[in-house]
Amino acid sequence: MLARIFAFEFRYQFRQPLIWIASILYFILIFFAITSDAVSIGGSIGAVNRNAPFVIMQMLAVMTILGTFFTTAFVSNSVHRDFELQTDSIFFSTPLKKTDYLLGRFAGSLFLSWFSYVAISLGIFVGSLMPWLEAERVGPFQIGPYVFAMLVFVIPNMFITGALFFSLATLTRNLLYTYAGVVVFVVGVLTAVNLIPDLEYRTLASLIDPYGLNAFEIQARYWTVLERNSLVPTLTGNLLLNRLLWCGLAAVVLAFTVWRFRMTVGGTGRASRQLRQATTEGGPSAVAPARAAGATGRAFAPVRPSFSRGTAWAQYLHQARLETRSVLRGIPFVIMMLFGLVNVTGATLTVESIAGTPVWPVTAILLPNIIGSFILVVLLVLIFYSGDLVWRERTLRMSEMFDALPMPTWTVWTAKLTALAVSIVALMTAVTATGVAVQSYRHYTNYELPVYFKGLFVLAGSHFLFLAVACLFFQAVCNNKFVAWLLSAFIWILGMVLPALHLEHLLYRFMAFPQVIYSDMNGFRPFNQLILWTSLYWGFFCIALLAVAHLLWVRGTEPRLRLRLRVARQRLTMPVRAAFAVAVVGIIGSGSWIFYNTNVLNRYIPQDRQFDRQADYEKKYKKYEDMEKPRITDAKVDVDIFPERRTADMRGGYVLKNKTAAPIDVLHVGINPDVVIRRLDVPNGRIESEDKVQGYRIYKLDPPLAPGATMELTFDVSMSYPGFANSGARGKIVQNGTFFDSTDFLPHLGYQKMAELDDPNERRKRGLPPIVRFAKVDDLEARRNTYISNEADWVNFETTVSTSADQIALAPGNLQREWSENGRHYYHYRTDAPILNFYGWLSGRYAVKRDHWNDVSIEVYYHPGHPYNIDRMLEGAKKSLQYFSDNFGPYQHKELRIVEFPRYARFAQALPNTIPFSESIGFIGRIADDPDAIDYVFYVTAHEVGHMWWAHQVMGANVQGATLMSETMAQYSALMVMEHEYGRDKMRRFLKYELDSYLAGRGAERIEEMPLYLVENQPYIHYRKGSLIMYALRDAVGEQPLNAALREYVQAVKFQQPPYTNSPEFLDFIAKAVPADKQALLDDLFRNITLYENRATKATWAKRDDGKYVVTLQFASAKYRADGKGKETERPMDDWVDVGVFGEKGKDTPQEGKVLLLEKRHLAPGEDRVEVVVDELPKKAGIDPFNKLIDRNPENNIMAVAAGGPALPPGSDLEKHPGPVPAPPGTGTAATAAGDAPAAAPAAVPSDTH
Amino acid sequence: MTPELIIEGVSKTYPNGVQALRNVTLNIPAGMFGLLGPNGAGKSTLMRTLATLQEPDTGRIRLGTVDVLKEKDTVRRMLGYLPQEFGVYPKVSAYELLNHFAVLKGIIDAKQRKETVEALLERTNLSNYRKRKLGTFSGGMKQRFGIAQALLGDPKLIIVDEPTAGLDPAERLRFNNLLSEIGEQVVVILSTHIVDDVSDLCRNMAIIGSGQVLLTGDPLRTIETLRGHVWKKMVTRDDLPAYERDCTVISTRLVAGRTQIHVLSGNRPDATFEEVTPMLEDVYFSTLNAADVKAA
Repeated sequence: MLARIFAFEFRYQFRQPLIWIASILYFILIFFAITSDAVSIGGSIGAVNRNAPFVIMQMLAVMTILGTFFTTAFVSNSVHRDFELQTDSIFFSTPLKKTDYLLGRFAGSLFLSWFSYVAISLGIFVGSLMPWLEAERVGPFQIGPYVFAMLVFVIPNMFITGALFFSLATLTRNLLYTYAGVVVFVVGVLTAVNLIPDLEYRTLASLIDPYGLNAFEIQARYWTVLERNSLVPTLTGNLLLNRLLWCGLAAVVLAFTVWRFRMTVGGTGRASRQLRQATTEGGPSAVAPARAAGATGRAFAPVRPSFSRGTAWAQYLHQARLETRSVLRGIPFVIMMLFGLVNVTGATLTVESIAGTPVWPVTAILLPNIIGSFILVVLLVLIFYSGDLVWRERTLRMSEMFDALPMPTWTVWTAKLTALAVSIVALMTAVTATGVAVQSYRHYTNYELPVYFKGLFVLAGSHFLFLAVACLFFQAVCNNKFVAWLLSAFIWILGMVLPALHLEHLLYRFMAFPQVIYSDMNGFRPFNQLILWTSLYWGFFCIALLAVAHLLWVRGTEPRLRLRLRVARQRLTMPVRAAFAVAVVGIIGSGSWIFYNTNVLNRYIPQDRQFDRQADYEKKYKKYEDMEKPRITDAKVDVDIFPERRTADMRGGYVLKNKTAAPIDVLHVGINPDVVIRRLDVPNGRIESEDKVQGYRIYKLDPPLAPGATMELTFDVSMSYPGFANSGARGKIVQNGTFFDSTDFLPHLGYQKMAELDDPNERRKRGLPPIVRFAKVDDLEARRNTYISNEADWVNFETTVSTSADQIALAPGNLQREWSENGRHYYHYRTDAPILNFYGWLSGRYAVKRDHWNDVSIEVYYHPGHPYNIDRMLEGAKKSLQYFSDNFGPYQHKELRIVEFPRYARFAQALPNTIPFSESIGFIGRIADDPDAIDYVFYVTAHEVGHMWWAHQVMGANVQGATLMSETMAQYSALMVMEHEYGRDKMRRFLKYELDSYLAGRGAERIEEMPLYLVENQPYIHYRKGSLIMYALRDAVGEQPLNAALREYVQAVKFQQPPYTNSPEFLDFIAKAVPADKQALLDDLFRNITLYENRATKATWAKRDDGKYVVTLQFASAKYRADGKGKETERPMDDWVDVGVFGEKGKDTPQEGKVLLLEKRHLAPGEDRVEVVVDELPKKAGIDPFNKLIDRNPENNIMAVAAGGPALPPGSDLEKHPGPVPAPPGTGTAATAAGDAPAAAPAAVPSDTH
Repeated sequence: MTPELIIEGVSKTYPNGVQALRNVTLNIPAGMFGLLGPNGAGKSTLMRTLATLQEPDTGRIRLGTVDVLKEKDTVRRMLGYLPQEFGVYPKVSAYELLNHFAVLKGIIDAKQRKETVEALLERTNLSNYRKRKLGTFSGGMKQRFGIAQALLGDPKLIIVDEPTAGLDPAERLRFNNLLSEIGEQVVVILSTHIVDDVSDLCRNMAIIGSGQVLLTGDPLRTIETLRGHVWKKMVTRDDLPAYERDCTVISTRLVAGRTQIHVLSGNRPDATFEEVTPMLEDVYFSTLNAADVKAA
């Protein structure tokens, strides 16, 4: 019987459209996710294959979250439709057993919904066969990951969610409660997923996620590319536990439902109650009416209607009110809105934090988060309700009555569009209120309502309105609700897919949001024109759509297009013709203006053409890369910045010197092709070729430049951002917060490697060989240049910069003079120490705060609305100058300044004595509130100040490992300053994040992971791993010896001439500080990729007669070396590793507890236990407890210590009691529960244990 | 002066090949006009066409000087229409929706609208349920609501398709009274299965079968034409086929469990037959029978 019901259920729902819609939708979505970068669902990044096992499993697992809605629809329908169609009385009066009935229906509908996942698998499989995919990123077909994902994620998740919501639907007999339940459930899960970045909650996050996705991602978090492309996870640990836990829970719920269910007829819902009332009350009245026979009652005096323009307006208003009310009071609307608001709350509460430290929730940050987390809800509401509204009268079978009413046709669809528009406004209002509530909750009260208004109502709102029009148009024209729904979704997907196909122009991307960034400093200003004109353009387009919708609007019972066209001719009245005319004129007018701005005033270059151009540059000019050229020795550049016009004029010259032994007769000069060249003079030079597309000129020098001789290159160029560009690119010259540097608009000498295309996949497509990121570490030829410039060594720099009267302009160098002239503000800066050939200019309306350290003046230039952390920056700068001067050598400038720039970019950078700092990083950080927070404002400041030594004094050659001496050393410098300020415990917290970032960064590597000393400008290595390595090195050799070696190195190489220093030389200096027995450490830390797997397995204590405690710690340790792709080989342990024992946890202790013992032990291969003596009762013990080594499972290094045995005499150790120590009842299990303790400990205690 | 509705040569074929109307030509003067015909005869198609909801393939329809097929808006302003089957917004009360329809019918003045809505609710015996959500209405209540909305706004052309279906006899009577009260001055087209309603209410009628007009005229006069031609007899079931073969049987019905046949004949077929005073029903069945014979 069960089987028959199962089969019936399957066949019944198989004939319904929903499963087909779900399957087709999934297939399309996944197909695009696999074959383009426009749609992403987890998915592959970098060198990970598009069909990598990791990608397959992640996609299938992620889709089970979305699939909850569909699964619920199937399983709840399976029983609920009997109540709804009132067939329950038929079924329940048969001799059907309720177990068969319920489980058959449940299983049948569940099996059916499984087919949508088959569609997903097909989408992945078919997608990966597509010929346009790069062959290098498609791996061989493997069945394993599909099977694993089906068995571990898909089927269990379908069962779990299916059982929960089947039960809810069956027991409540109410779909509203069921869907409300789904929403609460999914939101809860998404919150759990959001917990992942917080290191502290990983185990909890693994278990509470009913989809098992957290457990999977935590297990695979540190997978390298190789592993992502090949591994299938193991069903163990938290993943297994999670699956068992949730499947078990679901089974219990299902059993409960079967037990509770009664095969009784009739709902308990409100609707059915009302129905019963209605029929009982209706009874008597029907019979009542003797008086009915006569024409009694009030005499019927018909009211003559009047038809005027006012009538139509009143009809529209009345209808619009009714339609709007039906949407806003609709259950789906309320549920979707609540779902969205919860999502928004989650997203905005956890906005950008850096290393776990929160930022002030300024509106500029909340806006993109709000839109990002809410857009889907708005789209769903619009798509769903466009269909619902347009089809409402027909669905309710009242269209015949309704359509024959004498209101003009335009009032009908306008009322429906109004309902959609009002619902957009309602959603935006709700989301604004949520944003304000979140800000209030976080004690931020500068709500900036105009920013909300402009960002959400004007900008996002107009786009949503356009989508609403498109949805309405499809519903009106297609005359098939489902087809129109698909088309509506397709329009939205198209908006994402087109850019991926490099069809990027705003003129044909309907749902394209212009890339708009609100900056506190600069508002929306650079985007205003773009927003205005694209809105007008699509607005006119929508008028045309609406006019067509009006003509083809179905009124009556005649859906055939041919007949509707006949009616359309009747409807083509003057106003409609006028609307068409306005739309066409408007589209052409605003379109032309957009085109003029994007393609005439600016250049429209889609991404692929940009790549082509980069490839061409390389193909044409790479051959000149190693050509001899003169070097810049002096740069004098005067700059006039006109913020409101977004223009900068740059005049000046370079002194060039032939430092080679031979005469130079050719000079190559490159310049950004967008720059207007008014004058570019090369004395004795004759233009031999000029390439305006690439901005590349070749001059013949006659006479040639003799060895040792100098010449001057002078120029007068101008850069401006007229109108608006298609990309919406912010540009570097803006109304408030201009920031550009010497690589942006100034002439440079010869071929610039920096301009090469660096994406391996894009290079391959264009026939370029794999990129050589850096020359080999000992390449002497390459060591003639620093990694920052191939046209100069150290230069003298001088600039006079002017800006508008209300702004301050800044550039590297010490300020010589400041004056006003012609209503403009002038500043003259000059360096008094040589600098790298790298400088920049900034201009803005700044507030200034000054301080000084010794005779160095320190200034912070900031947006007046961002006063929060200025003192931290000043403090950080002072402490840094002090520490670095003491330890590395003197500071070379008289001034040091930090300057804020808009959030168009997110970094801080060290120019000589000038540190541009993005408004999104330090200025809105919320350091003061949380005593545990990492003061990254202090830290970033210290890092950038560190660069004044590590980059601006010591500069690595243009070979592998160069950033070790700049970025890694700036990290180390900052760590030391921070440690002195905040203590070691804070540092450990910080380093945990560094470890996490490094390990996660390995998985996103696009080419090859390098050991630190060969790092090829890879941030996750030179920053993240760099911090860990230098901290470990300091730990091993001590701060003073290490800094002494570093100081020696700085003195030896600072401001040096070619050949420039490299990492082996750096390591030679460091090696002097490392004791002879620890030299191997340098191999592990710098020359190889070394990973450890340390794990505490058992810890016991025993009290000695003298009151001290003997702690025995058993552990497993292993050490691996990885190659660049992540392939690991085990190496014998031969390392000094921390062993720690911790006591009571107190207020001032590390979070592990009071440190009772922390000492380095030398571990040889096979060692797995140590024994130590401590004075106080031990609580926890571990190996490498502070994670100083790079360990992929840092959490299991430490464990609780259990009471292990009887009291011992002093000096005795547990070796005298071989074998497992019997645990006293009730205390001994803690240790074994936490780890799998070996039964016996065979290894000998090494001689240096005591 | 109330205009006349003139239908000329209207034909309509659906995409599935069903020819719903074949060259229908009718002149419908002011007053009640009955439209009789079996299921699928094309009545609803004709009514929907008159109600501007559907386009005929060929033909012209005029209401006075108004071209019904082209000037839809003008027609709708004069129209009161009750479709055969209809739904309502379930979450809106009867008063609210009727009020809403009144606005859509062009009754803008709030005071007038209130009066007319309340009057109609009373006349359709719905006053007690005015606050009740329409979703909870029973079939008969909903039908009465439909009638109320059709009568809103002084319509000049009232088209009611099976208006009394689902009404109990008292309500049906009530409705007929209401309709005849209004039906003096305007064109009322009443489609129904209940033949007696037509003879009670209408001065003109048409019988439609298979999309064609089979008969038009005054019900009473058409009945007169059959006087002396209709005969009845009680027969057994076994004999029925023989009678059907030999005579023109226009109808059979059960009377107290036995079968009574009506036969059309110029004179008494035999002594066992009894003369019947013809009813409209006899006209109806004989017309349809004749059409069948022709078709065969």
